[in-house]
Amino acid sequence: MSSLMIAGHEFHSRLFTGTGKYANAESMMASLIASESELVTLSLRRMDLQNKTDNILEPLQKHGMKLLPNTSGARTAKEAIFASELAREALETHWIKLEIHPDPRYLMPDGMETLMAAEALVKKGFVVMPYVHADPVLCKRLEEVGCQCVMPLGSPIGSNMGLASRPFLDMIIEQSRVPVIVDAGIGAPSDAALALEMGADAVLVNTAMAVAQQPETMAKAFKLAVDAGRMAYESGLSKQQSSHNMQAQASSPLTDFIGTLT
Amino acid sequence: MTLVVNDSPYEFEGETLVDLLAALEKPTQGVAVAINQNIVPKSQWAVTELTEQSQVFIFESIAGG
Repeated sequence: MSSLMIAGHEFHSRLFTGTGKYANAESMMASLIASESELVTLSLRRMDLQNKTDNILEPLQKHGMKLLPNTSGARTAKEAIFASELAREALETHWIKLEIHPDPRYLMPDGMETLMAAEALVKKGFVVMPYVHADPVLCKRLEEVGCQCVMPLGSPIGSNMGLASRPFLDMIIEQSRVPVIVDAGIGAPSDAALALEMGADAVLVNTAMAVAQQPETMAKAFKLAVDAGRMAYESGLSKQQSSHNMQAQASSPLTDFIGTLT
Repeated sequence: MTLVVNDSPYEFEGETLVDLLAALEKPTQGVAVAINQNIVPKSQWAVTELTEQSQVFIFESIAGG
């Protein structure tokens, strides 16, 4: 399988992972190691001055995982730019997962604010990975302002609804000259495999792994699914028939036995 | 002096940002600080002096998707 390049960095795994929602740091680390993921997301928040927070940074760095801070919590381009600069200081990386969702109910990304922030952040030297709706026009615009990849959603964050945006993901994958990473909504390894079969360059999975009854085993299942999907894509999938032209195509020769029986 | 740290008043007896983080007994790994809405690079923490009513925001890295 070919490796994936983003901004000059080579990834051997096409499974990117989030660190949220795990029961504890041990379960998180065991799962991330089992997933063989090389890029993991983190968030920033105002420090809790009263309570001690689990130190998750040390084990992540010890295992050589590349950290991808996100701008979760930002509601505008201005806030997202500030969050990106804070993250660059905190984690010493200029990579940023840009996400701006002003509406806490559906967590739908704000395309206009995202485009504005992306353009500004690229100019400031960030590697910008924008989380957006599966909007082929917006993805093209983000590519044009210099984003190093696009991260369209499969379905709402944490919904486990899979690739509800499939037709639009197909268009984005067809048109994009930067890697396409399907983010959000991937609920099962089969969703991840499908995304890779369709030609997505990677997927980002968090909830489906973190809240599984056995997160470590689920992480392994996702690793296998992503590898299977990519292998299938690289070996050339045979075309699916469209539903309005549903006619079987024989996979064995239709021998005319009847004709031989007289 | 009294500072405002993450929106709460905080009585502080040191001088610099490094002193403040030490007084809070918090790790500095994965941490970023803004004073009066300006981000202070880590390299400047030791020489950044705090003054009465400085608005300090301290951010930490946590798990997230």
